[in-house]
Amino acid sequence: MIKRSFFGFARPSLSYEAIPETQPEPVVVVPREKIVLFIPAPCAGDAEGCAKPGDEVAAGEKIVADGNDAVYAISPVAGTITEMTGFDGIKGNRMTAVSIDVSKDSDSKTDDGFKTYGQSPTLETAATYFGFLPGKPDFTPFTQPGRKIKSIVVMGVDRDLKCITNQHVIKTAIVSVKTGIEVLRKITGIQDVILVVPENLLQVAGSAGASIKAAGSQYPTAHPELLLKRLGADESLEPESSVFFTAESVAALGVAYNTGRIPSTKLVTVVKKDGSLRLVSAPIGTRFSDILATVAQMPSSGDRVVSGGPLTGEAVYTLDYPVMPDTDTIVVQNSGDIVHVSDTPCDNCGECIRVCPVNVPVSMLVRYIEAGEYETAEEKMDLMACIECGFCSYVCESRIPIFQYIRLAKHAVAGMNSAEE
Amino acid sequence: MPEQIKPEQIKLTVSHAPFLHNGSRISKKSYNIILAAMIPVVAGILQYGMPAFSVVTLAVGSAMFWEVLMNFITRRSVSIGDGNAAVIGLVFAMLLPAITPWWAVITGTGLAVIIGKQIYGGIGGNPFNPVAVAMVILMLSWKDLFDFNTALVNYSFSFQPVYPLVLLKSFGVEAVSGISAADLFMGHQVGGIGSTFGLGLVIAGVYLMVRGYIRWEISLSFLAGIFATALCFHLSKPDVYASPVFHLLTGYSLVGAFFLATEDSSSPVGFLPMLIYGALGGILTVLIRNIGAHIDGVVYAILFINLVNPLIDKIRPKASKRVIYYA
Repeated sequence: MIKRSFFGFARPSLSYEAIPETQPEPVVVVPREKIVLFIPAPCAGDAEGCAKPGDEVAAGEKIVADGNDAVYAISPVAGTITEMTGFDGIKGNRMTAVSIDVSKDSDSKTDDGFKTYGQSPTLETAATYFGFLPGKPDFTPFTQPGRKIKSIVVMGVDRDLKCITNQHVIKTAIVSVKTGIEVLRKITGIQDVILVVPENLLQVAGSAGASIKAAGSQYPTAHPELLLKRLGADESLEPESSVFFTAESVAALGVAYNTGRIPSTKLVTVVKKDGSLRLVSAPIGTRFSDILATVAQMPSSGDRVVSGGPLTGEAVYTLDYPVMPDTDTIVVQNSGDIVHVSDTPCDNCGECIRVCPVNVPVSMLVRYIEAGEYETAEEKMDLMACIECGFCSYVCESRIPIFQYIRLAKHAVAGMNSAEE
Repeated sequence: MPEQIKPEQIKLTVSHAPFLHNGSRISKKSYNIILAAMIPVVAGILQYGMPAFSVVTLAVGSAMFWEVLMNFITRRSVSIGDGNAAVIGLVFAMLLPAITPWWAVITGTGLAVIIGKQIYGGIGGNPFNPVAVAMVILMLSWKDLFDFNTALVNYSFSFQPVYPLVLLKSFGVEAVSGISAADLFMGHQVGGIGSTFGLGLVIAGVYLMVRGYIRWEISLSFLAGIFATALCFHLSKPDVYASPVFHLLTGYSLVGAFFLATEDSSSPVGFLPMLIYGALGGILTVLIRNIGAHIDGVVYAILFINLVNPLIDKIRPKASKRVIYYA
């Protein structure tokens, strides 16, 4: 746990992890028995073109759950689908969990669908094949009506604390990032590509063929919106006209076009119980139990396992939870290190106000949300300005689950707005 | 050999983000305030002896008792663990004369904890500083209790045994011209148990400000407000109004700046609001002392700035605008 500074008069600050000079190679994890993939659509059962339990899948094959070809998972291994069940995500988003029994010789059967399309990269092939790339590139903004994209920002920095996944990609796979950037330029026609890296990787990133910008070292400066505001002063970058890609997804694009195969190995930073970091390379869909067993960090009852970063991730309730295309970090915490929330009301100390990067009046906002006054919170207390960095909860001395309150309120407001429409 | 636990049998703790915390908590803040307050309080006990000690212990103990009683009546979880009730009791005792009857102490802490805090829902809900509320009620109800000269008549001091602000009010600036600032700063004056030892109060205040348990913006602007206003008065009529240093070192000025005005719940959180709030308190204090009828204006000034706190806390920087795309 990071302690409060002795000198409390200054504004609290948190630093991003900087990748060390020498970093051991990532531990390669091979999934045992089965993998689990999440398709971000509810399971449609018998619809045309949907996968069913019992189907054989090849490595690199697309799996569709509800007949919509644009929403899919790509199996990283060859095997047999054993189960397809509905799964509700954290904000009620419906997904389908696909369990696949891994074949003994899992690389024997490969799907070559991409090879033929891969020769002539277009936005369409990108949407058809790259939605499940490690790093989860999002191509929808390019086709969104009413939005004209002018620049692409490639994030060689990591969004959350304790994570070095994207930094590692910049450090070791800058050539693939370069190819990926070229591919991106080709398929989108946008020439303005900005690569954002931490100070210590500026030199390495120089060869990527994009304009290089340094990111700040203080959390949450690498948040896309704050980054845009900082870079925007001299670059005329605007949220409407910018799209973000992680360095890992761009490198994966580069690999896809170089090899003709869709990469499916995700780089994950495992934060061990003692706080040290270990990079792991595992196929998407690998269950946490396989990864944690490999790095000898199996939790015991009462411990906490987090998918995603320590400030913005989600705690999982089962070790069957898989690595997803955007799982950059897995955090394992001892039960003794867990700080529990309390029911103490806000005592108006003001720490949250001082740390909020976007000037939300958190202490007042939280009072409105506690009272269920979501509409007032939205209209008068800038609820929607929150960028969800989690810093307010981190410093709260009453230990109020502020971040969760805000997410709940936003969810409720979004629900009310869509009901009105 | 115990049986190997399978991964699916492990019951994980599930909670929401963030999963890190800086470890701060209200009890730590309270204990630090108590620790810092010990310097002037112990000095007061050394000066006034056992009566002062019994007032302090009774105040802390009874404040905690009232808190538990209210927890019980309102059927809420017991909250004395956060130390806030003890802080209220201790700060209240700092303002009292050493010879305060037991019933006044208990009534005072009762007023502070119940009317000052608990009826608004406990910690964080009170619009006024609980200690200031109790003090004002007591001062208006039993005026004689706070006549420091009468209260401490049985003591023999090495210094002039008169409450400096009374001296100023009744006999004018000439009467206090003989009192040196160094004497006042070292606690050679009559006053509340924990409010006379200037050096100790400054050390406590600096410690709390550095640690961030009280906000320096409020304390320093409060003192600056006192200094600037008193200076204006003094410069305009030096023979009628006392010097700014005299005002800083007498009465409840220092204890008000470091322990009363900074109470979290009734003070603002923004940078500019904190400066305005503090400065306003300081200005009012001197206005009440120099022009008003009361001898010391600090507690009234604190109550007044508590009143305007919600208004001035509305001054805040604009939140960043966001463009949100719904998928």
